[in-house]
Amino acid sequence: MRTVIVCALSVMVLLVSNSAVSAEKLHIEGSTTVGPIADGFTEVFKDMYPDVTITVNKSGSGTGAAALMDGRCDIATMSRFMKEQEFKNAIAKNVFPVAHAVAMDGVCIVVHPSNPINALSSEQVRDIYLGKMINWKQLGGPDIPIVVISRDTSSGTYETFESFIMKGQKMAPSVEYVSTNPQAFARVEKTRGAISYVGYGFIQTGVKALTLDGVEPSRQTILNGKYPASRPLFMFTNGYPVLGSMTYKFVTFHLTEKGQEVIENKGFVALTDY
Amino acid sequence: MKLIFRIVFDRIFTVLTGLTVFIIVGALIAILGPMFRRGVGAVFLRGTVEFRKVQLAEFGHGDEAQVRAETERTGLVRAKVYEMIDRFKSGIDTRQLSERATEIYRAFGAELKLKEIPREQYTALRSLSRDIRDRLIEAFAKADIEQISQDVEHVLQYEKDERLKGTASEDFFRLARQYQKAAAATNLNKRDEYAKELAELEQIITELLGPRPTEDSPTLAQFRYGATRWDQAKKLLHKLHWKELWVEQQSSASLMRIEKSRIEEFAGTELEPLFRYIDDNLEKMLEPKPTFYWRYFLDDSTPGHYFGGIGPEILGTLLLTLLSMVFVVPFGIISAAYLTECTREGPVVRIIRISINTLAGVPSIVFGLFGMAFFVLFFIPLFGGPSKPCILAGSMTLAVLTLPVMIRSSEEAIRAVPQTYKEASLALGASSFRTFMKVTLPAALPGILTGVILSLSRVAGETAPILFTAGIAVGPVPKSVFQTTRTLSYGSWDMAVADKLSAQVPHNQYGMVVALVSLILCMNALAIILRSRVFKRLKGH
Amino acid sequence: MNVSYIGRTLQPAAGFKQPLVLTIGQDIKGFVLRHLGRLALFILTCTSVLAVFLIFLFVILEALPFLGKFSIVEFLTSTAWYPQAHDRPEFGALTLVVGSVYVTTAALVFSVPIGVLAAVFLSEIVPFRIRDIVKPVVEILAAIPSVAYGFFAVLVLAPWLQEHLDFATGTNAINASLLLSIMALPTIISVAEDSISATGRELREASYALGATRIETMFKVVIPAAHSGIIAAIVLGMMRAIGETMVVWMASGNASRIPRPWWDLSQSVRTMTATIAGDMGETEQGSDHYRALFAIGLLLLVMTLLLNLVSEYFLTRAKKSLGKS
Repeated sequence: MRTVIVCALSVMVLLVSNSAVSAEKLHIEGSTTVGPIADGFTEVFKDMYPDVTITVNKSGSGTGAAALMDGRCDIATMSRFMKEQEFKNAIAKNVFPVAHAVAMDGVCIVVHPSNPINALSSEQVRDIYLGKMINWKQLGGPDIPIVVISRDTSSGTYETFESFIMKGQKMAPSVEYVSTNPQAFARVEKTRGAISYVGYGFIQTGVKALTLDGVEPSRQTILNGKYPASRPLFMFTNGYPVLGSMTYKFVTFHLTEKGQEVIENKGFVALTDY
Repeated sequence: MKLIFRIVFDRIFTVLTGLTVFIIVGALIAILGPMFRRGVGAVFLRGTVEFRKVQLAEFGHGDEAQVRAETERTGLVRAKVYEMIDRFKSGIDTRQLSERATEIYRAFGAELKLKEIPREQYTALRSLSRDIRDRLIEAFAKADIEQISQDVEHVLQYEKDERLKGTASEDFFRLARQYQKAAAATNLNKRDEYAKELAELEQIITELLGPRPTEDSPTLAQFRYGATRWDQAKKLLHKLHWKELWVEQQSSASLMRIEKSRIEEFAGTELEPLFRYIDDNLEKMLEPKPTFYWRYFLDDSTPGHYFGGIGPEILGTLLLTLLSMVFVVPFGIISAAYLTECTREGPVVRIIRISINTLAGVPSIVFGLFGMAFFVLFFIPLFGGPSKPCILAGSMTLAVLTLPVMIRSSEEAIRAVPQTYKEASLALGASSFRTFMKVTLPAALPGILTGVILSLSRVAGETAPILFTAGIAVGPVPKSVFQTTRTLSYGSWDMAVADKLSAQVPHNQYGMVVALVSLILCMNALAIILRSRVFKRLKGH
Repeated sequence: MNVSYIGRTLQPAAGFKQPLVLTIGQDIKGFVLRHLGRLALFILTCTSVLAVFLIFLFVILEALPFLGKFSIVEFLTSTAWYPQAHDRPEFGALTLVVGSVYVTTAALVFSVPIGVLAAVFLSEIVPFRIRDIVKPVVEILAAIPSVAYGFFAVLVLAPWLQEHLDFATGTNAINASLLLSIMALPTIISVAEDSISATGRELREASYALGATRIETMFKVVIPAAHSGIIAAIVLGMMRAIGETMVVWMASGNASRIPRPWWDLSQSVRTMTATIAGDMGETEQGSDHYRALFAIGLLLLVMTLLLNLVSEYFLTRAKKSLGKS
């Protein structure tokens, strides 16, 4: 009995005493869309700089912005630009957010592969999300009810979709909410009547991406802005990072060949590719 | 009612009640069965040579010499695949051919610069090689075999030119001949289609065998290796043979999924025997062997759990639960001791009992909210700690969650000790404190241990309280209690809904949740066995 | 033998190490220690009371600014939950409350009949040996973590529902209800079985003596006698189901609406617990949305507290009625 207590106490003491970690740390928080890019960079950085501890948290662009303002993270990944209120809050807290655009992404409308429809217009998509269209046969498809899936609010993908397609109108209450891009993908893959929107990087076999307003989502159309719902992905830092610091290396990694390979592998479009 | 009806009803209802138990057992099997079947594949698998390569390169386990020998052996068999593809490609991949031609032109230009020749000769030779290059590129783009032969002949006439002998330009002629031969063997009209199909085919072969030995190693670990499991390889083989297409049945009806044979696409070309070759030799190319991957429970994983194991998750779960036990066991035993020994049923004790019952009923997500609002934002910063989620906050939250369980089972255990023990000790003159410490508590210890194990299993499975207080999905192995950690429960949730790559590695997905459920079931089984033994022992007196 | 008192040392009696009588000093020391010790234990035991108090305090503290800013009536009766809307965020929690109650009620519809019948089976119809095997199986059901059930719900059950029953979506109310009923079953079975077993032999023997069959005895005599305990079991099961988070978050689809028509279980719903878990990661601390989530947590806490009190009431009634018979 006594030995058990002694062991437990010594373990606890060891754990607590180890809290002074001397290695350099980098904490990144924010969007689930940009998250995979940050993960990819982290993986490469683990080999290049083994002494640095990098943690990536994916909980939404809004949370990333808030964390940067509170000083809880070094880099905030966001799939949208900061809002006016967020800038004001940041300045009030003496934080000066600097945007680094690392890749281009398109918000693509996806449906199940068995859906014969290949193209929709923004108005049609808006009507679907407003609940005005509830069956695919109203759009020239099969007689299956439309299962509308959306990302949870405060996700950057949601914001982009909202600003480009919904134009400020609120979605119908019958819309199902999922919290991440992979979840949206999985739901559409398994549900015949589903429609959702995911980032371009999440499109794989298993779902079909639709042509929106006559433009097919592809690397070229996203890069030259022809695709209506294309957007840059950002990493925000507090001020411009000190040259040569780990933060600097991380936010400029997309300019290197390896960084671009990571971005391409994750399914996004590298900015330097024109 | 007539007697016979009553008897019949009696029998029917008896059977019905028995049926409920079958439904319950059936539900248990239906839930656990598929999960265990798919999860066991994470530890017991037929691993290919790629699996052993991953183990060696990423994690440092395995016999280096053996892996190298296997790589060589399989490399020989795979070489033929690459040969066939390259030969076919040289006829159709016009972009690569054009690039090659441009390369040769540049190499020749560089050579000329190093030699010291008069200016006019330099310009003349340069423009000659440019003409040859342009003619070749034109030929690459054409689809008429007659015209191609004309172009190639035109280029080959320069072979006899003295000025070009012994230089890089000789590659031009080699390229031209190669192209002519390949073009003669291919249907040039379908070149674009072939190119697209070939690209898909190459993609599948890269997934199957990994990147070519001559290519640069890709940056991300996920793409550096081929199929690590034999079942994965078989699926890819199927994908190799059959292409998935969605075709229209009637207008405006759902598309139907059919599978089209890829061999038909390449019928009559050089590439057709490739499929049969791969069929016959896949085992030699991958060398699958039954593997018992027990390191699954110790290894870290590459991002997205694509390769590797669940070691950090298990460590995180253990850290979190053991630390919460450190907080809850003293409080639980002391409270139980107080409630059984020191008081009678009065208003104060009633309030305490109501609180314990209330605590037991609070939903786990409210514990998460409380943990965040109190421990993370208030309590730990009070002592100078960081105001961030950490293992300490998570374990304290879990301790509060499991306090009622601990108090209840400790109380039960202490009450189960027969009065005679206590009375005998008091009769011998011991104080009540001494009696408790030296007689009652040791006798109740197995029962208390049961309670501890039950609390442990409850805490190990909880996800909602650690969502905001200690858990993360991706992060390093924690080195101190002031960091967050991955755990089995949070990881299972993450793999089920949030992770992008996890759908491609279902064995890892199910493996994690099966590890969690097995851990908890083992602890519960231990508690049940312990409890029945304690029961028997104490009842015997 | 030398025995003396106040202030002077005592000689030990023949062979004993301790004196037979204590000095005043030792007496006072023993008294003080004993009572101090009991006080210390009392304070430590009161941590559980303190914990409950703190939980309520902190949840109310965080929720109070929200309740002050937005009207409580709107919170409880509006069906519009748009917390991130740019112009005017709306925090109507009615759909969430209805969603929670909806899946809980549907779960009880499945689990109460099965649970009570199983309790009857285990306590009456089956010999002890089989009961000792089946009870651990029921405990295993209780031990499986909710995230494992959620895993099953979203990866196995949802596709199955879509393919075989042709539902539009597999993550819906019936998916969540089925799993919640499995999770509530062990609670219901164990409490109901305890109260059925606790009814005395005399009742049963009297009933059999009057010629009733076994099932008639069960349903007309024993269950009515144990009805308080069974109601307590149901209420406890309800408490478990309403407070469950991971399963409903993964399996219910999270569509913030009230199903129309009300009996259509194949539509998605959203519960209070799933809203808290899902939205919390995305809100910034101190914002209105954050406080609204704490307000929902407070609502949840109040509901479970009420259910707790109800179950306590029925349990004491059950104990009292047993005492009488």
